[in-house]
Amino acid sequence: MNLDVRSLRTFSRLAHSGAEKAAGSLTTLAGIDTYVNVTKVELGTKTDVEQEFAERDLVSVHIGFSGGLDGRTVLAFSPESAERLVDALMPGMDGAETGTELATSSLKEVANIMLGGFIDGWADYLDTTIDITTPTYVDDDSDGPLENLESDGFEHESDNEHILVFRNQLEAADDAIEFDLYMVPSPDSIETIVDASGQHGALPVQSFAAFSDMIADGADQASADITAMTGIDTTVEVSRMSFVPIEGVPMSLTDSVRRGVVLEFFGTPSGYIAILFDEPSADNIASSLLPGMEGDEAMRQSAIQEIGNIVTSGFLDGWANTLGTTIDISPPKHVHDIGSAIVDPLATELAQSQEYAFLIDSTIRTDDDEFTCDIYALPNEEELRKALEQLSPAV
Amino acid sequence: MQVYTTDTTSTHSARIKVGIADYAFGTDGNTLTTSGLGSCIGVALYDAEAGVSGLAHAMLPEADPDGDPAKFADTGIEALLAEMRDEGADTSRIVAKLAGGSAMFDFESSNGGKSIGERNVEAARKTLEKHGIDIVAEDVGGSHGRSLELDGKTGDLRVRSAKTGDQTL
Repeated sequence: MNLDVRSLRTFSRLAHSGAEKAAGSLTTLAGIDTYVNVTKVELGTKTDVEQEFAERDLVSVHIGFSGGLDGRTVLAFSPESAERLVDALMPGMDGAETGTELATSSLKEVANIMLGGFIDGWADYLDTTIDITTPTYVDDDSDGPLENLESDGFEHESDNEHILVFRNQLEAADDAIEFDLYMVPSPDSIETIVDASGQHGALPVQSFAAFSDMIADGADQASADITAMTGIDTTVEVSRMSFVPIEGVPMSLTDSVRRGVVLEFFGTPSGYIAILFDEPSADNIASSLLPGMEGDEAMRQSAIQEIGNIVTSGFLDGWANTLGTTIDISPPKHVHDIGSAIVDPLATELAQSQEYAFLIDSTIRTDDDEFTCDIYALPNEEELRKALEQLSPAV
Repeated sequence: MQVYTTDTTSTHSARIKVGIADYAFGTDGNTLTTSGLGSCIGVALYDAEAGVSGLAHAMLPEADPDGDPAKFADTGIEALLAEMRDEGADTSRIVAKLAGGSAMFDFESSNGGKSIGERNVEAARKTLEKHGIDIVAEDVGGSHGRSLELDGKTGDLRVRSAKTGDQTL
């Protein structure tokens, strides 16, 4: 299986227009103005996806598809968003709570309309027929949603096999409803899509997989370094690479206030990195680095900068080793601002020369929620592609 | 597959969210919002008489011929103006408010030239001047992020900042 940046662009555009169709059908059906925030093509492992569903306690409706393409689509909600959606569909009715028959059947109806519209777009593009199954409702983590993802006649080889996930974040702002529309094609179907986009000179998917492993190792190292520095046990919750339209990068963050650092890195690849904490996390981590001290603002800033430095080197050192290059890091700049606005200038610098970006994001957290640390890395697209070529198995 | 019919046309949402590299207009006194302006520029346009308001959120100053017009200050403003005129707005009555265009970081890779934020503000001014549109208020530059809310009933532009607090232009 080969992938290249141009076919990723095709995928991204297709997924986005499919999601807009799906959003439009919800607007027409229910009068709920729905927008597509961000469309991402994510490369991760089965375990990554599974973990996300379990950790976020998602309520989801699954629809399988087969024929010209095989796989699964999923509409996933937080329980609160699901409830608000049911309430918006049937205002004033009792029984909107998650799990009631009424709630379940209305979510299934919504999924049928939206996911059906989404899949139609792909069928048109590929000039083929795709059949969809009836919707299945899955309530949170009990039975492992990915097993469901696979129940329709295809299986991924192992938990660590890399899979492509098309993920669209949708939002109905008036009703504070947020949800995700996922599409997970079977490995064979990815080949079908890649062939249809007709690109040559593609990189074998193994290169992306090797890079994705490298990111996971970097996140593990960063987590170990934070633990060593603070004495608090941390784990990597998410670590993934996605391909997004450049404007989707800041839109992946909310406008809540974050504190942290921003750095530039230089080498192959060069790029930008932001290490961000929510405010309580930043306070907790600064306190753990300044034990027994009150610490004025300047001390807290320098503690945050210090941790930013450590996390960045932990995160990037492995890249240089694997890629056989040197990556230099600028001094960390302290930031305390609206999350999406912090990342906006980084994406904008890259937007001068690229329309899409590889967004690498990792989340490191403590078991007791004492702090959460989000890492966003934005390598220059062309330089990353060069780096990926070096990871390609010899021909 | 079930067929759904509905005779409720799409309701006019009171709030319209404008993404990044995006613009939108409202004709029913809608509130237009956008968030996460760092170096990006937000351009609020308002024709009180026609009751038409518009908000653009552009990333870069000048258009690249292959790019999405909404991404750039010059073509984004042009495109928004065209849509507002279709809704009955008149360029001679439209007034503008600007917010954003900050220089949050001094990147080594940008070689010390003008920041993208400054260039975004310049491009927006130039395009508005070309159409004879007055900038009646602005909150641009600095080194902080902003989120915006344009009240389509009054033309008030609320600017939220984590650093300098909230203000209404």
